[in-house]
Amino acid sequence: MAQTLEIIQKQKDSEQWDEPYLVNMGPQHPATHGVLRLFLELDGETIVRCDPRIGYLHRGVEKLSEHRTYSQAMVLTDRLDYIASAANNVGYCLAVEKLMGLEVPRRAQIIRVIVCEMARIASHLLWLATHALDIGAMTVFLYCFRDREWLLDIFEEICGARLTVSYPRIGGVRLDFNQKIIDELYRFTEEFPHRIPEYETLIDVNRIWLKRTKGVGVISGEEAVNLGLTGPSLRGSGVRYDLRRARPYLIYDELDFEVAVEFEGDVYSRYRVRMKEMREANKIIRQCLDKLAECEGEPVIAEDAPDLVIPYGKIKRPEPALHPKRGYLVKGVEVPIVPEGEVYFAIEAPKGELGYYIVSDGTGHPWRVRIRAPSFVHISALPALSEGQMVADIIAVIGSVDIVLGECDR
Amino acid sequence: MGLVKTVFLTEILKGLSLTLRKLFAKPVTIQYPEEKKPLAPGFRGRHALVRDPATGKDRCVGCYRCAQVCPAQCIYIEAERDPETKARIVKKYDIDALRCIFCGYCEEVCPVNAIVLTEFYEYSGYRREDLYFDREKLLKNWDEFIVTQKRPYFNPFWRPRGVPERKLPAAKRRAEGI
Repeated sequence: MAQTLEIIQKQKDSEQWDEPYLVNMGPQHPATHGVLRLFLELDGETIVRCDPRIGYLHRGVEKLSEHRTYSQAMVLTDRLDYIASAANNVGYCLAVEKLMGLEVPRRAQIIRVIVCEMARIASHLLWLATHALDIGAMTVFLYCFRDREWLLDIFEEICGARLTVSYPRIGGVRLDFNQKIIDELYRFTEEFPHRIPEYETLIDVNRIWLKRTKGVGVISGEEAVNLGLTGPSLRGSGVRYDLRRARPYLIYDELDFEVAVEFEGDVYSRYRVRMKEMREANKIIRQCLDKLAECEGEPVIAEDAPDLVIPYGKIKRPEPALHPKRGYLVKGVEVPIVPEGEVYFAIEAPKGELGYYIVSDGTGHPWRVRIRAPSFVHISALPALSEGQMVADIIAVIGSVDIVLGECDR
Repeated sequence: MGLVKTVFLTEILKGLSLTLRKLFAKPVTIQYPEEKKPLAPGFRGRHALVRDPATGKDRCVGCYRCAQVCPAQCIYIEAERDPETKARIVKKYDIDALRCIFCGYCEEVCPVNAIVLTEFYEYSGYRREDLYFDREKLLKNWDEFIVTQKRPYFNPFWRPRGVPERKLPAAKRRAEGI
């Protein structure tokens, strides 16, 4: 990569240097996974400069949250990374619970881990499907969608929706699993490890796939950390950093799973990391199902969990003060619904570190919500990954960092 | 990559043998309009007001909880007190389905299980008014839906599993199938 750039620099210095060729890729391009626009400055087929332009899917989720109560704002988080909406919901609920100091029942925690890992598998399957399709492997796309469909059916059984689940609640989850869901999940965890080799047979050693992915979009571990990459994109560069292990939340510290790491830092190793992660997620679901049987019949929502109808402003509670003449309660004091303060909570979403920063002013709605979306950070790393590569490789690079524009633009 | 592997394209053949095997496997696709996938109970589809079999009317008591919790604010209710009996009379109960995001909060907070999101999703309209459900239309939605269901019909969100009894209103605790 550096060599290529050097050659370009030499050409730039020479007298025959012409203006670079500007290619506008997107916003309506099937391989940009949404509405991402890239300005590519090309020298022949080599990318000299890559300039991502975002904001085509901006809906103002952060601002909208400020005018909704805490429970109403949760449905907005469904629409961030709409491929793994359950993980977004869980992250948001955990942040609000940390703010309120709520203790979530164990059964709800286990269920949350299950839906998070289901979302991870569903997200990685969709990633593999579209990434392979971009590079030119059509069959994998169909197989991945077949299995993702299975997961979406389970989501439908759990909460009544397939994509925008809105399943967790502040203080727990909406409703418990029934036996049918547990049986189906057991069947899935039995069957799914046999499905992964199918995808791998198709692309793992396929020479077209290897040529398109190996040595493309290389980034060193140090550089990846400096750019703020998280999740599989970081672990593909050999940095063993996973929030589920580094800062365990829910019941992840009790579970036995490995953090998938690959060391090459190219598109291929990021693909390998995600394939390993799917296997690990499957293992986690299996362990959680066994743990779920231990706490059968326990509640799934905390005793002191707030009602879904949260008052918008502060509420007034009568104060035991005597009126000087009439002698009964007259005064009302404002009591905070959610304690004042600020909180940051991050979870390991399928795409990387998904953090919520919430500032509360004591009312029933957040004063400020800031979402640290992994896709936004990953897009900012695109120039570093793609400059000096061939123009055809930008497709593989965009695919490999796994971006969803709904989350990036918010 | 070994010479044999390079010349004989073994990995491509392996992949092709997999696809060949799948060619004779049972197809997973569903021929949609002719063939329909069974929906899970509690699927969040078209709105309806439950017609109470005892009274033949809807159960809404006009408590405004659904209108208050709705994140899209697409439920419009008008209720007033009867001057004699002091009972609350619901004048208007409208849902703008085009604004609805199908989160299911309304059926969750309803203390009397009056509003429900039915397992019916094949509906459309030529005009905006077609998808603006007033009270009569919502009751009609229920009538259209319930005849297609196995009786007694019970929506899982009428009495959510795993939620302690004390946290549920009385009508939800006693909820039964229709």
